[in-house]
Order: sequence, then C-alpha cells, then structure tokens
Amino acid sequence: MHPVLTRPTWLALYLGAWIPVAFLLGLVLAYLAGVPVPEALAVAPGLALVLAFVCLSALYPARALPLENARRLPFLVTHLVAAVFSTSLWLALGRGWVAVLERGMGWAGAGQRFREVVPGLFLLGILFYALASALHYLGIAWSASREAEKRALELQVLAREAELRALRAQIDPHFLFNSLNSISALTGSDAPAARRMCLELGDFLRRTIELGARDRIPLSEELDLCEGYLRVEQIRFGPRLKVERAVKTAALETAVPPLLLQPLIENAVRHGIAHRVDGGTIRIEADRRGSRLHIAVQNPRDPEAKRRAGAGLGLANVAGRLRTLFGGEARLETSDSGDSYRVLLDLPAPEVP
Amino acid sequence: MSAALRTLIVDDEELARRVLREFLAAHADVEIVGEAANGFEAVRVASELDPDLLFLDIQMPKLDGFEVLELLDRAPAVVFVTAFDEHAIRAFEVHAVDYLLKPVSPERLGQALSRVRERRGAAPATPLAQLVAAARPDAPRPVERLLVRDGAKVHVIQAEGLDYAVARDDYVELFADGRSFLKHQTLADLEAQLDRARFVRIHRSYLVNVERIAKIEPYAKDSRVAVLKDGRELPMSRAGYARIRDRF
Repeated sequence: MHPVLTRPTWLALYLGAWIPVAFLLGLVLAYLAGVPVPEALAVAPGLALVLAFVCLSALYPARALPLENARRLPFLVTHLVAAVFSTSLWLALGRGWVAVLERGMGWAGAGQRFREVVPGLFLLGILFYALASALHYLGIAWSASREAEKRALELQVLAREAELRALRAQIDPHFLFNSLNSISALTGSDAPAARRMCLELGDFLRRTIELGARDRIPLSEELDLCEGYLRVEQIRFGPRLKVERAVKTAALETAVPPLLLQPLIENAVRHGIAHRVDGGTIRIEADRRGSRLHIAVQNPRDPEAKRRAGAGLGLANVAGRLRTLFGGEARLETSDSGDSYRVLLDLPAPEVP
Repeated sequence: MSAALRTLIVDDEELARRVLREFLAAHADVEIVGEAANGFEAVRVASELDPDLLFLDIQMPKLDGFEVLELLDRAPAVVFVTAFDEHAIRAFEVHAVDYLLKPVSPERLGQALSRVRERRGAAPATPLAQLVAAARPDAPRPVERLLVRDGAKVHVIQAEGLDYAVARDDYVELFADGRSFLKHQTLADLEAQLDRARFVRIHRSYLVNVERIAKIEPYAKDSRVAVLKDGRELPMSRAGYARIRDRF
C-alpha cells in the first residue's frame, strides 16, 4: 500500500493539498475552455480527486525502476507507457463523472464540452504524472537515506551493548577461584555446606548467563541474582559480610537492563568489605518515584586502604552501559565520605511489559 | 629428621586457612604455630613467633602480603597463596619460595613444602625489606602510602600526608600529621618510592613535599633555607636549590 494511504492524517493532508489544484482546474475550464462556471466548479473537484489517486500510482514504476543503474531507453519507455496509461484511466473516469453530472443535473452538452477539452487535459495529466514520478523518486531516496541512518545507529547501539554485556558477563576470576577454594575447604570439614555452596555457585553462574542474554528484566530478578551472589560471598566471608535491604515493592516490577546492579554489589564486597578486618554491612536500596527508579548501594570502606588495581572499572562499565542504553536519561552518582562509599543510580522506570 | 617447620598461616578468609591447616596436617614436620586474618595481625604475630615458614595471602585488609613482608625484620620462607596469578612476577622478585593458586591442591602444596625444606639453611642473606625495595622501582606507580613499624604496631602514612623526611644514619625520620616516625630505610630508597613530582631532595639529608614549602630564603653565602607553611625551616643545598628551580 502507498505510504500516504497508511495513515488517515497523511491522506487528509494529501487530499487537502489538492483543493487548490481543483480550484485552479475549475478556473481553467471556465475561463479558457468556456465551460459554464457552475459546471466547471462541479467537474473540476471530481477530476482533481481522481487525479490525486492516479498520481499515487506513480510510486510503483518508481519503485520498480530505481534511478541508479537505470538504462535510459527502457526507463523512458516504461514511464511513458505508465504515464499514458494512467492519464487515459484518469480521463475515462473523468468522463464517467461528467456523464453522471450530465444526467443528474440536466446539463445538456456537458459530455460534448468535456470531449473538446480532452487533448488539453491529456497534456495536463502527463505533466502531473511526470511531477508525481519525480516526487516519488525524491521520497524514495529520502526514506532510503533515513533508513540507512537508522540502521547504522541501531547497529552501533547493538554492537556497543553486546560488547558491554560481554564485558559484564565475564565472571570475576577472583570470585570464582576464591569460591572454589572455599568449597575445597568445606569438603573436608562440612560436606553438606560444600554441596550447598556448589549449588549456589552453579545457580549464580547459570543465572548470570541467562539474564545477560535478555534485553530487560524485572528488577526483582536482578535482586534475586544479587542475593545468590551474596549467599556465595557470605559463605566465604562469614560474619564479616552483612546485608541490609530497603527495597520498596513498587520498584520490583520495573524493567531494567540485566546485570546493572550485581556489579555494584560485587564492588561493594571487593573494595569495601574485603578491605575491612571486621567487614561491615552493605545496604541495598531501591525505590520507584513516579517514572524514575532509584537504586543505591552503600558499603563501609577502610579510608586507609590501598586502591587496588582495577578499582573503578566495574563502575565505569555500568556508567557506559547506562549512557548507551538511556543517553542522558540515566545518571550514576558516587559519593565517598572516607569510611563509607555510596553509588546511586537514577534511571527511567518503565513497567515490565 | 630436621627440626619442625614452625609455620604461620595468613589469610583473611577462615575457610582458606582451614583448608591449608587440613592439608598441612598430613606433613609431620610442619608445626602450625599461629594464624592471622589481616595484615596488621600478620606483622604482630610474625614478629612475636618468628616462624620459619609463612603462608601468605596477598589481598587482605590493612596491609597486603607484600607490605607485611616489608615490615618483617627477619625473613621467614614465604609461600604466597592467592586466587589469581597477577602478582606472580612480583612474588618471585621478593624471593618467595613458591606461589600457590587457589583452589590449592594438596600435591602442589607438598611440592612447595619440598622446596622450603631444600632451601632451609640456605636462606637468603639479604634482609627482606631490601628485597622488597629492590622490587619496587619496577612498580609503575609511586607508592600511595608508607608503612612504619613501631614494635608490634604498624603506622600507615598516606604519601601526600608526608611533610618531609630526614636521613638519620640507617634510618629515615618521617614527619607527617604533626608527628614523626623512624623507619629503617635509606633516604635514597624512600625518594625512589615516592612521586618525583611531589617530593624533591633539597639537601643530602632532606627530602621535602614541595606543596609544604611556603618560601625560600637566603641564609648565608651560597646557601638557603626552605620555610614550610608551618614555619619550620629546612636547610637547602646549592644542588637542592637547583633541583627546585628546575621544577618551577
């Protein structure tokens, strides 16, 4: 179907543009061809209306014969045939409309008067058809370039997102090896606990892979993943790792990109709790305010601790993903009070579809 | 059979210490004399117990494994135990006997113990602190903090908090936060560890944080003093003045 016909507003605008044409056509018929004014003003709108639709048909030859690589002769012949055919169709339909008026309004001789202007109208029809073809070629070129631009942009976003997700899906090797060492330790002293930790670790790894392959997940699933991660780390760190949650129910059903929160929790453990002799409490907050989702992760830290290599990399990844996915619509803020570190995410909060 | 290997296990994770204890129990000549769960504790316990062998984790609260070694007077044989091999090269630079990766295998641990037994008696004559310092220049970044041991206590001085340092025979005296600390190190070593953009040797015996200098005044013919923001005056040699002048 022609794009103009796909939306009522576009069709209305298009037909509206033909009103002046109909008026001009009426004037031409009345003053140059000597048609009585009321008859000219009745015939012209019908002719214009039919011409409007006939001109739309110029899309199909234009689509079939792209401008690039077109050979001149077949190109001209095809368009000429199409133009003659379309114009003839227009005039035949116009003739029908005049016949209806002749009989309905009792305007004797209207058909005869129409036959007299047919040669002029034929030329006019060919002209309009040529104009319509040119406009269609223009439209095709414009939408092709827009399409190409959009695709390029989409590809870019997809590539960046894939890259960042691949980065994210890399499980921290320290976490993995330390966990395996803990399992090894438990095997000798507490076999059921070793088995539990194997299951927790397997579950966490599987879910990381699964969630990472999806575009958007409910925040509740991301939080479940974080809980799985924390259960594994709690076996490793024992009483040093404590967790406090302040998650509002309204936030749970918000759609978020996967693996956005887990790296923040991992950071809090790695750069916060692990540096402190007595560990501490990680606080996870989530709240939905209107159309925004606020997530905060806070952890105690040792102000005298050496900065470890790789610190800040996880945060940079999360910030990069937010930029790619939301542009300026999302923020990541950090605040450091010396003995406490806090990361705040503020992002759009669409409901899970 | 030779005397028992008096062994200290240092790791911040209880489970990691547990698995080492379990595996070491199979070796009759190993006697576990203590455990430590963080860097400060490791320094304290190691100085008290003077073990022959140290199983040492690298990433720990307070001090990392390398910093612990730097603070020990007498070097035990060291076996590093860590999750990831990013520190392996540095570990051998400080003459670690071996380097075990987690999860630790009992066979690999047995090999490490064999190496320890072979090396026994042929312990390196070089004090560890010097070995650690020797490994330092390769470190791409200047140190962020300085460590000073005071008996069993460890002071941590942030590098930017250091006002100046003075050479005192085999020691340096560090002035920071209104206090002073004595550290067994040469001034040249200290200078090499610190950020060259911030610390300048203004005199054979004085290294100063240039951000603390308020002004430089002539003192006698051919000599000057650096006046610090808190009013203290440090002597400045002609070469020292040239170094400062080149910098600004």
